[in-house]
Amino acid sequence: MSKQVWPYLIHHGGKAAPFKSLPVQEEMMTKYSNLSLESHNISVTAAPFTSLPVQEEMMTKSSNLSLESHSISMTAAPFTSLPVQEEMMTKSSNLSLESHSISMTEHSNMPVEKNITLERPSNVELICQFTPSGDLNSVNVTWKKGDKLLEGNYLVNATGGILYTQHRVAVINSKQMGSYSCFFGEKKQQRGTFNLKVPEINGQNKPLITYLGDSVVLMCKCQDCLPLNWTWYGGNGSVQVPIGVPVNDKYVISGKHANETRLKITQLSEDDQGTYLCHAIFELGESEGHVKLVVLSYLVPLKVFCAIAAEVVLLVAAILLFEMYTQKKKKPSDDGKEFEQGEQLKLDDSNGIENSGPRHRKNESVGQ
Amino acid sequence: MAYRAEPPDGGWGWMVVLSAFFQSALVFGVLRSFGVFFVEFVAAFEEPAARVSWIASIGIAVQQFGSPVGSALSTKFGPRPAVMTGGILTALGMLLASFATSLTHLYLSIGLLSGSGWALTFTPTLACLSRYFSRRRSLAMGLALTGVGLSSFAFAPLFQWLLNHYAWRGALLLVSALSLHLVACGALLRPLSLAEDPVVGGPGAQITSLLRHGPFLRYTVALTLINTGYFIPYVHLVAHLRDLGWDPLPAAFLLSVAAISDLVGRVASGWLGDAVPGPVARLLMLWTTLTGVILALYPVAEAPTGLVALTMAYGFTSGALTPVAFSVLPELVGTGKIYCGLGLVQMVESIGGLLGAPLSGKGNKISRWAMAAVFYHGGCRGELI
Repeated sequence: MSKQVWPYLIHHGGKAAPFKSLPVQEEMMTKYSNLSLESHNISVTAAPFTSLPVQEEMMTKSSNLSLESHSISMTAAPFTSLPVQEEMMTKSSNLSLESHSISMTEHSNMPVEKNITLERPSNVELICQFTPSGDLNSVNVTWKKGDKLLEGNYLVNATGGILYTQHRVAVINSKQMGSYSCFFGEKKQQRGTFNLKVPEINGQNKPLITYLGDSVVLMCKCQDCLPLNWTWYGGNGSVQVPIGVPVNDKYVISGKHANETRLKITQLSEDDQGTYLCHAIFELGESEGHVKLVVLSYLVPLKVFCAIAAEVVLLVAAILLFEMYTQKKKKPSDDGKEFEQGEQLKLDDSNGIENSGPRHRKNESVGQ
Repeated sequence: MAYRAEPPDGGWGWMVVLSAFFQSALVFGVLRSFGVFFVEFVAAFEEPAARVSWIASIGIAVQQFGSPVGSALSTKFGPRPAVMTGGILTALGMLLASFATSLTHLYLSIGLLSGSGWALTFTPTLACLSRYFSRRRSLAMGLALTGVGLSSFAFAPLFQWLLNHYAWRGALLLVSALSLHLVACGALLRPLSLAEDPVVGGPGAQITSLLRHGPFLRYTVALTLINTGYFIPYVHLVAHLRDLGWDPLPAAFLLSVAAISDLVGRVASGWLGDAVPGPVARLLMLWTTLTGVILALYPVAEAPTGLVALTMAYGFTSGALTPVAFSVLPELVGTGKIYCGLGLVQMVESIGGLLGAPLSGKGNKISRWAMAAVFYHGGCRGELI
């Protein structure tokens, strides 16, 4: 049965041939391909899809592997010519079109990669630009998804000494996510990679420290995305148990905004220690964040406190005892003490002429 | 008990310097680094940052307004009992704070209780220090006050480490233990009997005589003006840098540069204050004028090198004026009345400190720096008189 999906553009080789010769091209394609064939029907006339069944028939005859047939939705406007079809695709599919491009030269040593974050189904256009040092036309262009070679779904264009290749993907579920790579050349292949991923979730990098009997709020946040749903999993070891499924007082899941989720745990005990996972579900896949929880007993800092307090008491005792000891040494006679102090003053005085300074100052202050 | 004719200028005085060093570290270093805790409080109590910052504001206000009480107590009973009690109060405040369940709880325990503890420790210690020194007073002050700068460096990472390992409750408990060392510092403050003491009388008499003392009052007004301008640059420097397009990390680094030059300024000015003969008030004038000039230049400086140079200079001069500011007072009122004198000054200048930051927030970029400069000039005019 034919599915209602969005039509693709098929081009084989470097020519942007109009679709008048489409049936012939398809035939050629099926001869060469020995992998999965995604057949894309594009009706070349203004006529409705009366010719479709005929084409489908042709497809099934020639292919020898899995066939994904995509028929054009009957409600869409008729597809008259190639450029218009591009437009039609986007109009009928109701999806946004994102375009991403990377460029490489012949001698780039580092593999060129671009990460694309997708949250909702959309059409994605992947463009690779390649500047060869030699002849443009001799460069072989291929696309791969993961390790699988993609046949014939891409445009190759050459202008002004730069080779452009474009691959368009309609991303509707997690199957279309992954790594798409464009390859230039045979012997010395230059590779550019587009990584299609779901948005990342930020948990908490540092472990959360809490105490027995206390309560804590674990939070996971997504920067610019709105997941469809959040779930929390708690685990000791490898077993992940969903939290909050039997709704009880201990766990409360809430979230002020759609892009964050909060798990409040009350009456903490030692068993609550461990790593908690927050799972975000998107249309295009899943993503998760980690939050680590550590539960301490109040005795842990209390012991340190008592140790330091004891040290302070010892210090104070030592200082006061030292003072009493030195005072006892001086106490033998009061006169002796005064005399000693007098001697000390004399010693200080004999230190120099600077004394006229402070005395001078003191006199000034008294004078005021 | 024998009364000394003159301060010893050494001997046990150096132990008092050590005590004052740790005290200023434990009082102001803790206060300045408390911002690290605020982030945790915002998350834990789900309150906006403005409300959380009131904790520090209350603490500082109580410390400064409570200074006269601290000085009165230390005049009557000596600095040692006052400071040791203050240490216990501070630690108790932090201890109770670790059990907090609401922000109000923190306002009362850290703000009120620890704040009064700080009030009973800081002022008596500095006053005691100025009694122990006359010839080398500025140097002793400068050295003691370096404690503030160094502890701001050390405590911020330390507090962050404590928060990472013990969460805020455990961290507060350990800061309380840290604050207990104030008691040990208090123990070091051996009472000193100077010849002037019987003459000046008890705290009540001292305060009334001080309030009639013309130069003292002018000095207080001058310091208040200086204090009003003092906090403005610290509050607005980072914002100013960001406006000019600086990234957060270099901006923070510039603050550290200011802190270092502040430290150097304190010690250098302390040494200078003793080395140069004549009234110390002249040096105070010098530093305040320079600071005012530097601040006035800020709106003009755009290039990074200019800003770095200005910030270093500002750090140096503002640090330089602190020990000198404290040294002027004993010369004005005499070492006998120093406890009460310092207490009153702290109380009045705190008004300036409280008003300064919000006032400056109202103006635009340029007017802020101008305001700060004006305050400094006002201060130095006060000195002239």
